[in-house]
Amino acid sequence: MKNGAQLIAAARVQGRMALDEHAGKQLLASFGVGVPKSVVVSNAAGAAQAAATLNPPLAVKVMSPDLPHKSDAGGVRIDLRNAAEVERAIAAMAVTPQISAARVDGYLIEEMAAAGQEMVVGAVRDPQFGPLVMVGLGGIFVEVLADVAFRICPITRLDAQEMLAELKGAAILKGTRGRQPVSQEAIVDVLLKIGGDGGLLMSHADDFKEADINPLIVSAAGAVAVDARFILS
Amino acid sequence: MEDRAILEKFSPLITPRTVAVIGASTKGNALPNVFIRRIREFGYDGEIYPIHPSAAEIDGLPAYRSLAATPKPVDYAYIAVSAAQIPAMLSAAAGHVRYAQVISSGFGEVDEGKDLQEQLAVAARAGGMRLLGPNCLGIYTPRGKVTFTEIGPKEVGHVGIVSQSGGLGTDIIRRGMGRGIKFSGLVTVGNCADLGPSDLLEFYLADPQTRVIGFYIETARDGRRLFEILRAARARKPVVLLKGGRTQQGIAAAASHTGSLAGDDRAWTALSRQTGCILVDTLDQFIDTLLIFQTLAPSRIHPTRRVVLFGNGGGTSVLAADYFARLGLDVTPFGEPTLAALAALKLPPGTSITNPVDCPVSTLQQDDGRVAEKILDDIYTTGQPDALVMHLNLSAFAGRTKPEVLDNLLQAAMRVQTHFPGQAHFVLVLRSDGEPQLEARKRDFRARAVDLGIPVYDEMSNAGHALAALHAHERFIISRNAG
Repeated sequence: MKNGAQLIAAARVQGRMALDEHAGKQLLASFGVGVPKSVVVSNAAGAAQAAATLNPPLAVKVMSPDLPHKSDAGGVRIDLRNAAEVERAIAAMAVTPQISAARVDGYLIEEMAAAGQEMVVGAVRDPQFGPLVMVGLGGIFVEVLADVAFRICPITRLDAQEMLAELKGAAILKGTRGRQPVSQEAIVDVLLKIGGDGGLLMSHADDFKEADINPLIVSAAGAVAVDARFILS
Repeated sequence: MEDRAILEKFSPLITPRTVAVIGASTKGNALPNVFIRRIREFGYDGEIYPIHPSAAEIDGLPAYRSLAATPKPVDYAYIAVSAAQIPAMLSAAAGHVRYAQVISSGFGEVDEGKDLQEQLAVAARAGGMRLLGPNCLGIYTPRGKVTFTEIGPKEVGHVGIVSQSGGLGTDIIRRGMGRGIKFSGLVTVGNCADLGPSDLLEFYLADPQTRVIGFYIETARDGRRLFEILRAARARKPVVLLKGGRTQQGIAAAASHTGSLAGDDRAWTALSRQTGCILVDTLDQFIDTLLIFQTLAPSRIHPTRRVVLFGNGGGTSVLAADYFARLGLDVTPFGEPTLAALAALKLPPGTSITNPVDCPVSTLQQDDGRVAEKILDDIYTTGQPDALVMHLNLSAFAGRTKPEVLDNLLQAAMRVQTHFPGQAHFVLVLRSDGEPQLEARKRDFRARAVDLGIPVYDEMSNAGHALAALHAHERFIISRNAG
């Protein structure tokens, strides 16, 4: 597996503005953040064989530098139950107008994370303070209510705990309206792996302008980064 | 750097023994002439060296041709001449000057001055000095008896200030003075071509005279360093931060003012949460917060939360209880022991003895005001407040009571502090309506109270914000220093 510097160098050599999703997840995994088990295939041929090594349900996502919003382009399929469905999904995607017109690096086939609370973990590089790490609850909490907490890196465990406590939606993590509580400790661990001392952002402070892990799916058992986007500076 | 080395480094700025002044005219009417007059009036007794290209004497002092030509090396140079000629003056100083403060504008705050500011910084390095400014107003250092302001307390206090705006620096001194704040120093840093807020922060943290630090900042070009210094300090001295340029509009204003780009509000909020510095929004809150930290010693055991309100004005009490609750403070009714103790005083009808304790003037004037001592004694003995806010609406006393009633009330309050030392923070709110006689009495009370270590506020909301800041500071130091 490539390390962070190699992943970043490879993207720069190709003139990319961002790491592709697979590279982003490899980067996360190299810092100990949980990511789904996955394989990358270049087209529908061979997809079934590759998918057979994974445990369904599976998701397929197109990898293209031209399609940052891959869902909107029809480039995401989820809940695929077997290898044959994966192969058919990729074949169908490849002929859609947007995907057939785009540069396609391949297709990412992933095991789907168990259900849980969607969180967003992000980062920005502040011109005065350097890397900042962010956390929020996914969906409307981030997009509509801007219910997020920022900290300057490196953060401590206490900082990470206070970030979660600061969220207006913090009570949701404890389990409300019959939902299971999620592991706050798992979120704190991810925040430290991203924003802590020796974490991803401190190790690559000048490499990234912005980053999004959206969603990070958190259950009582742990946290998995289901999508990741790292914008190079 | 060790504290001692930092103090050593800054001592020529804080207690200069030689001051050079560039820009004073033989006619005696330029800003630098005013500066010479002010520091003499302020009691400065070191050497003053006017620098002038031709004059033999300025304001009765022998003048010198350049910064390098003074009899002794210059600790502090005050420079207010046209911008373009300054870099050459600094680079020619040949290690003869420790600190130069450039008052003049026309540098980085305007597009056409950006190059000149760069030249200025290079010239200061070449001349072997540290630079303050440009585009600022000066320093106020009661220890060094040097000031740029027309008025300012001569007494050396414990509040150290850095301001990126000169005018606001003046406001902080004047308004702070009216509220009883006494300063260990105030430095205006303007465009920060060389020294900036982080450098002065290091000084104030090291300086034993300084116990509270206040900043007005528009931008920190070295934000990373500011973060690291604040974080390492773990709020061992309270730091109050008034940040300009936090909104989109504010950023536009900052760009045209000190010519610097302001940071994202999220980052400043994060800075506050991670370092325990107190972020405030207005000059009033800044002064109010500095005052509470100047007068009250933060608890290292238990963050202030439970507040007792005691005074006259039912509506005022109710509104204040709501307001304090919104700030996260706790104004909950007394338990049985306190209620029983207060009931035993048999206060007149119309008095409410839950928390808030609402006493009409007719109650407070009992025993010529000495009743307050009994009430407060009972609250302190049985009620375990973290803070007690005593509020008096002076307007309600006017014309209804003997003048000594108010005096007795305040003396009672002050005596109670000596009965229960360190038990609860005591805050006084003196409300009035602007009527000149009442204002005069209020000023007198306020001065006496602050001298005794009691912070005085004009309104309940001001006291609430200040107590909330104290709570935030205490909670931070307890959370970061536990175990």
